[in-house]
Amino acid sequence: MKTMGILIRRNVKLFFKDKGLFFTSLITPMILLVLYATFLGNVYRDSFFMSIPEGMTVSDQAMEGMVAGQLFSSLLAVCCVTVAFCSNMLMVQDKMTGARKDMLITPVKPSALALSYYVSTLISTLLICVVATLMCMLYVATQGWFLSALDVGLIFVDVLLLVMFGTALSSLVNFFLSSQGQISAVGTIVSSGYGFLCGAYMPISQFPEGLQKVIAFLPGTYGTSLLRRHTMRGSFLAMEKEGIPSSVIKVMEDVVDCNLYFYDKPVEEWTMFVILGGSVVFLIGVYVLIHMLSQKRK
Amino acid sequence: MNTEYAKKNVLEIENLRKSFGEIHAVQDISFRVKEGELFAFLGVNGAGKSTTIAMICGELGRDGGEIRIDGSDWKTNPDSIKRKLGVVFQHSVLDRSLSVQDNLESRAALYGIYGAEFEKRLSELTELLSLEELLKRPLDKLSGGQRRRIDIARALLHRPKILILDEPTTGLDPQTRKNVWEVVSHLQKTEALTVFLTTHYMEEAADADYLVILDHGKIAAEGTPHELKKQYIDDYLTLYGVSEAQVAVLGYPYRTVAGGYRLAIPNPSAATALILSHPELFVDYEITKGKMDDVFLNVTGKILSEESVPKHTKGGKRG
Repeated sequence: MKTMGILIRRNVKLFFKDKGLFFTSLITPMILLVLYATFLGNVYRDSFFMSIPEGMTVSDQAMEGMVAGQLFSSLLAVCCVTVAFCSNMLMVQDKMTGARKDMLITPVKPSALALSYYVSTLISTLLICVVATLMCMLYVATQGWFLSALDVGLIFVDVLLLVMFGTALSSLVNFFLSSQGQISAVGTIVSSGYGFLCGAYMPISQFPEGLQKVIAFLPGTYGTSLLRRHTMRGSFLAMEKEGIPSSVIKVMEDVVDCNLYFYDKPVEEWTMFVILGGSVVFLIGVYVLIHMLSQKRK
Repeated sequence: MNTEYAKKNVLEIENLRKSFGEIHAVQDISFRVKEGELFAFLGVNGAGKSTTIAMICGELGRDGGEIRIDGSDWKTNPDSIKRKLGVVFQHSVLDRSLSVQDNLESRAALYGIYGAEFEKRLSELTELLSLEELLKRPLDKLSGGQRRRIDIARALLHRPKILILDEPTTGLDPQTRKNVWEVVSHLQKTEALTVFLTTHYMEEAADADYLVILDHGKIAAEGTPHELKKQYIDDYLTLYGVSEAQVAVLGYPYRTVAGGYRLAIPNPSAATALILSHPELFVDYEITKGKMDDVFLNVTGKILSEESVPKHTKGGKRG
């Protein structure tokens, strides 16, 4: 365990000392922030207003709280995965610098090495994402705070689960990379693709039906939905109290992906937790297994 | 009793083979390294040195053959072997942005060395390699020679029996190379290490106890430096203050050098015979041994021109 602890500390230090890796990991969240600040926020605000039936009104605070919740959930849904991918690139850099070769000539167990990368990426990503969460909460407070204590707690659970998922997925993908070119390619694909696939740039409900069905098989989708639920539930409750019919609220929840459907069947919140948690366990298992197999093959 | 024979084999390679597709990188090589000796493994780029080292270190699987390190086999006791090997790679593989101490701490942990045990070993190595002023500095702020000292410290963290140095002085200036060698020689004496060296610099191999020259994945020659020099190169007899006609009478090939003539003679006995038969010519003269560079050139030259000669039978192969 002590060996693992020292390796984890080494990996975390290296990530934060490598300014290239650190800032690359923040590119996607920054792009998202710029998109919201320039036009995406207004687009959502306008479309939400348009979905309110004529003759009914919603307070600005509830509306702004909901738009802020949308930004909050989008940012974290992307951040938790893209930061994990960048942080986990250390695994590939170790192959390129020869550090990995240096580690493999020692009696350390391959599974310990694999887990040390996993845990250190988890810690680095969590540190960044928790800071991002707190900053988002601060932003939400300025726009309209409707989060209950339970919601706040659940948001942190969502972030933890999504970071664990992003770390496990990146561990598995990065295991097969070994050059700077591959790092750049995967970094670009993840940065640009994941934001789209998880519905951060555009709600999944707006995608063509076929694509929605494919996306329903991706565990990360449920992470985004959980975040949406917990960051926006308070605003929807406030709107309901202001007299907006629950049928209208449901439509709005559908539009912003608070409700997800697997082949037209609604997915319960607890099922989303199980899917995300289960996929984390599965991915970690596969990752450790391939590490061990690759060593045995030698 | 001859102490050379009393020493046990700390590394034994038997019929080692490795191919990458059509490329036969290592072809059925066998050799021994004795405990406490400086063993030099020589060859041009692509000769198969790095592939052999990668197999010895367990980085690379082998197609055939056996590797035994201090009696242990890779298949049955890999952890024991890993604890007996310390490796200084050709290029530093430590973390450049971390401090020297952080680097050594993280690598020591891989051998289960931490806490008070690590502090003790760190202080020993600090004294041995004069690291005191470097410990807190990041690796990327150190000079090439300082970095090599840290690489050596890393390789010695777990007190290995064999220190493998893979071209440790490549890219270093002559003075730094000299310093690195002083450190290695000192270590060999103080830590009773067996040193397995690969190098491009033949003068570094001249101090080795035993050499193996590898060419195209095969052993081209092996023996002590003395045996190889005897086998592959001439001695030189330089005569001063004589005429060319007098030198020509001696019957050996010669060439002009500053102030005299240099004759290539097969061995010191030939020089003795010349002195006895023509004492009048030997007023001002010197006998010099050929260098290891000449051995290497002659060995690889022979390989190129005499493909059919079974090279591994040359030199003083030992058991």
